[in-house]
Amino acid sequence: MTAAAPGPGVGSPPGTGQGSPSGTGAPLTDTAAPGPELGPGPRPQPELGPGPGKSLPGPSNALLGLAGILGFLVCWEAVSRAGAVSADFFPPASRVLRALASEAAEPAFWSALGDTLTGWALGLLIATAAALATGTVIAVVPYLREVTASTVEFLRPIPSVALIPLAVLLYGTDLRSTLLLVVYAAFWQVLVQVLHGVQDVDPVAEETARSYGLGTWARIRHLLWPTALPYVMTGVRLAAAVALILAVTAELVIGAPGLGSRIAVAQTSQAVPEMYALVVVTGLVGLLINLGARLVERRALFWHQSVRGEAAL
Amino acid sequence: MRRLLIGLTALAIVAPLTACGSTDSPGGRRDDGSAAITVGVIPIVDVAPIYLGEKQGFYRDRGIDLTLKTGQGGAAIVPGVISGQFQFGFSNVTSLLVAQANKVPVRAVANGGASTGRDGADFGGITVGKDSALKTAKDLAGRKVAVNTLKNIGDTSVRESVRKAGGDPDRVTFVELAFDQMAAALDSGQVDAAWAVEPALSTIKGRGGRVIASNFVDVAPDLTVALYFTSAEYARRNPELVEKFRAATKESLAYATGHPDEVREILTTYTRIPEATLRAMTLPHWPQEPNRASIETLAALGEKDGIFKSAPDPDELLP
Repeated sequence: MTAAAPGPGVGSPPGTGQGSPSGTGAPLTDTAAPGPELGPGPRPQPELGPGPGKSLPGPSNALLGLAGILGFLVCWEAVSRAGAVSADFFPPASRVLRALASEAAEPAFWSALGDTLTGWALGLLIATAAALATGTVIAVVPYLREVTASTVEFLRPIPSVALIPLAVLLYGTDLRSTLLLVVYAAFWQVLVQVLHGVQDVDPVAEETARSYGLGTWARIRHLLWPTALPYVMTGVRLAAAVALILAVTAELVIGAPGLGSRIAVAQTSQAVPEMYALVVVTGLVGLLINLGARLVERRALFWHQSVRGEAAL
Repeated sequence: MRRLLIGLTALAIVAPLTACGSTDSPGGRRDDGSAAITVGVIPIVDVAPIYLGEKQGFYRDRGIDLTLKTGQGGAAIVPGVISGQFQFGFSNVTSLLVAQANKVPVRAVANGGASTGRDGADFGGITVGKDSALKTAKDLAGRKVAVNTLKNIGDTSVRESVRKAGGDPDRVTFVELAFDQMAAALDSGQVDAAWAVEPALSTIKGRGGRVIASNFVDVAPDLTVALYFTSAEYARRNPELVEKFRAATKESLAYATGHPDEVREILTTYTRIPEATLRAMTLPHWPQEPNRASIETLAALGEKDGIFKSAPDPDELLP
């Protein structure tokens, strides 16, 4: 990708008067999303922890993260050992970690992990592709935007788990049931961001591009794409987390193969430490997915001020 | 550009629809003589015989290529059987009666599991915590009792226990709680009593809890608790296969009854019940035929409790 590509679109926003041009869009659900007004100053990533701009050197960042996890484990151990709750129902961290170790020695665990990751990745991929295609088309055609706005707002808040009976009717308890829930949940996350992103194209830059005679594809390539990309990346990052939650939930409730159904079996078997060990695994997977998504985001947006940070200003 | 985009939209809308259409055809039904069948089961103790029978080759010997798929509870299994995702399923009798009363066409094909019929030594029972003052089911009036699913076999049989002990079943408050959480709920006093089945029952007993009544035994001396079933349509179209499945399942039930050690052994393959619990557990009984009288009693009790929309007909359900 040529770093110069964004050109006037994003690099030097006019700042004034642009706001959210038509205001059709609903408010973004996530505060981390780049707001409609990409002013010159604020980075659109008020994330937990040091933003990329004033980032601490990498290693100490990782160290701090590790310290946090260690602190959490110590608290867990202490709470359980203090007898606030019975250790039979909430075993101390050390016992759960031992169960985790023996869990990791079983092939069935790894195939369950594989099933969950397959459901997650496939679901995220389908949802992202579908949302990119639909979102771009809807956003570019004003008429479609008006027609779909209320429908999107109606469908978006429907919890994916409410579709479980439908999923079971259509696909029984296999991967496709999981996919239905994952795709439904992740799709809206990306779609809404795509809609906002495409709408955020600077009208002045758009006019300029037209008057310079840029064709459709050139405008998409040099104007629409770089403007929308930060939004899309945010959407995908959020969708990645939601997709994992829904993948595990589907397995847990329906019984589709994966970590979730393994948790359910451990639960009904009264195998408490094993159950918590699996819960810890889902947490770890979520952590890794978030780290990965942020890495991808940073790579894809290396030219964007949110990533370049203060140096760009 | 606009025309192109409209075309793309049309594609985006139509493509998923056609994709739906192609996968919409009833899956899993293979009538070409290979007799590959899928059975929806719950990963619990009661289905051990079918796992054993599969391992022993009782199904293979009859030309059935058996696949067992686990779902979480009847919520996943009854719809799965009706929509043809599974050819057979496992469910408790009350759930099947409810389905039948709701005009969902289910047909029982083989016995699933039964109560041991021994008061105080069944695989399920009404339990109280270590320090509870409750002595009999009569004391449950005015108390909070946990069952895994409301308006099902748990509360209808607990009510019968209360009735038989001379208490007022209408004064019992039922709360829904998963079996695995009952031990903790009894400990912390969130509920006064809990209807639990194995392995939760052993966990509760292991923590000093007591069984104050055997609700299945109170309903009938040998209560049929669960059945293997299929859809009416599948039964009509594949009578020989249903007969083969029934025969293989009967053989499996008999084998499980004669080999309790192998039952405990096979449980380690599809559940994660800890070793100690596995040895302490009371296994259900697995007679080869359902006890029709006990099912009629369950239907009558359910009617009394208002579980069914219309009166179920056990003759329609049973073979």
